[in-house]
Amino acid sequence: MVESTDKVERVVREALKIACPDIGAVDGGTHLASELGLDSAQVMDMIMEIEDRLDISIPVATIAEARTLDDLCNSVRRVAGEA
Amino acid sequence: MTLLDKFAPLAELRGALAASGNVPSIATPMDAIHSATEGVIDGKTVLLAGTNNYLGLTFDPETRAAAIKAVQELGTGTTGSRMASGNYAGHRALEREFAAAFGWPSAIVFSTGYQANLGAISALAGQGEYLMVDADSHASIHDACRLSMATTIRFRHNDPENLARRLERLGEDAKKTLVVVESLYSVLGDRAPLKELVDVSKQYGAMIIVDEAHSFGMYGPKGVGICAELGLLDRVDFVVGTFSKSLGGVGGFCVSRHPEFELLRLGSRPYIFTASPPPPVIAAARAALARLLRGDDLRAQLWKNIERFNSAVKRLGYRTGSNDPGPVTALVFNERADAIAHWQGLLDAGIYTNLMVPPATPAGLNIVRISLSAAHSDAQISRMIEAFEQLAARFKPAA
Repeated sequence: MVESTDKVERVVREALKIACPDIGAVDGGTHLASELGLDSAQVMDMIMEIEDRLDISIPVATIAEARTLDDLCNSVRRVAGEA
Repeated sequence: MTLLDKFAPLAELRGALAASGNVPSIATPMDAIHSATEGVIDGKTVLLAGTNNYLGLTFDPETRAAAIKAVQELGTGTTGSRMASGNYAGHRALEREFAAAFGWPSAIVFSTGYQANLGAISALAGQGEYLMVDADSHASIHDACRLSMATTIRFRHNDPENLARRLERLGEDAKKTLVVVESLYSVLGDRAPLKELVDVSKQYGAMIIVDEAHSFGMYGPKGVGICAELGLLDRVDFVVGTFSKSLGGVGGFCVSRHPEFELLRLGSRPYIFTASPPPPVIAAARAALARLLRGDDLRAQLWKNIERFNSAVKRLGYRTGSNDPGPVTALVFNERADAIAHWQGLLDAGIYTNLMVPPATPAGLNIVRISLSAAHSDAQISRMIEAFEQLAARFKPAA
């Protein structure tokens, strides 16, 4: 199952909105921790939301390196592409 | 930007948690300990209700005597790993006693409970294998996953159906998976749906390890935990636990129904590359385990205290982290300031509890955590209830 680029980004943004409801406009280079203030628990909630919506399992190590929204989208695309 | 700059947010959090009084709510200085339920904080004798000393065995006369005798006869430490000079008769005897308590063939003792998870989990699942971990697991479990070379995937807290979906996606690789759960979660005090989690694990051919750190000693016919209480010991593969809660010491253990578990001694880095527990620690753990297995009097007293305290908390309208009464009661607050005010109010009334706030808590909750003990007297439980009645009158939690 290969997810289209647009679908992955849309799902990641939806998951971010659930993890962080008060969030404003976010561009792809926005830093998840230092700019959005997401803690590790919020990031993990967001990942599980993405997993459920795309029906994939994302290994913890895969997203450990993701610093920005674009990083996260790319990591998810890699997993989705392999699924 | 230096290496130390990244700690600035922690300094802010520490500042925010500074209570209105003189006593910090994290790393609270204990000036003295008088008994399993009384200590001295800021010059004042307080009732301890935040210690995990569930059976009150830290001051048990037999346990203390065993530790003193071991120091006199065997010294203060082993100065060696179990794989070298630190493999004493006491360590081996304690492992036989843990295995016998579960009716299983194998038990390994580790130097701490943290290391028991680190040592067992990181060695059981390696490269090309999988760890399927409850998202709200203790830090020691998450750290074990980092130490392991296995692929780690988290599933939603206490959600067997979510676990099933993830195991389904693995296909045949589900048989190379270790599912990791706790029986009783330490922050909110909520119980896992253990039977369902075991059913799902076995349906897909996965092995399952259950951390009974906060249930060993309090549940089941002999007190060995929730797996035994639910009759799951013929299907659960490993149980991990600690000496630092109900046994009143420090150390950890992992028991297994698989005899091959013994071979972990040769492949578990946290077991091999550390000194073995000192003789008094092992002697105290053996005495505490024997005391626990001897009868159900301590468990009965603890459960009596739990029922009395929990019914009062419910009557006063507090929101709790779990509907199942247990040794841990978590009072949940929407606002951090309310949690701090309760923690401080209790301390002012001479009662020490635990304050827990995000990011150390699940779901961003603000929590005042109370742990009860078999050693709490009826009068001490009454004091705790009276303090909550006064706080409830001030803060109106039911409103």
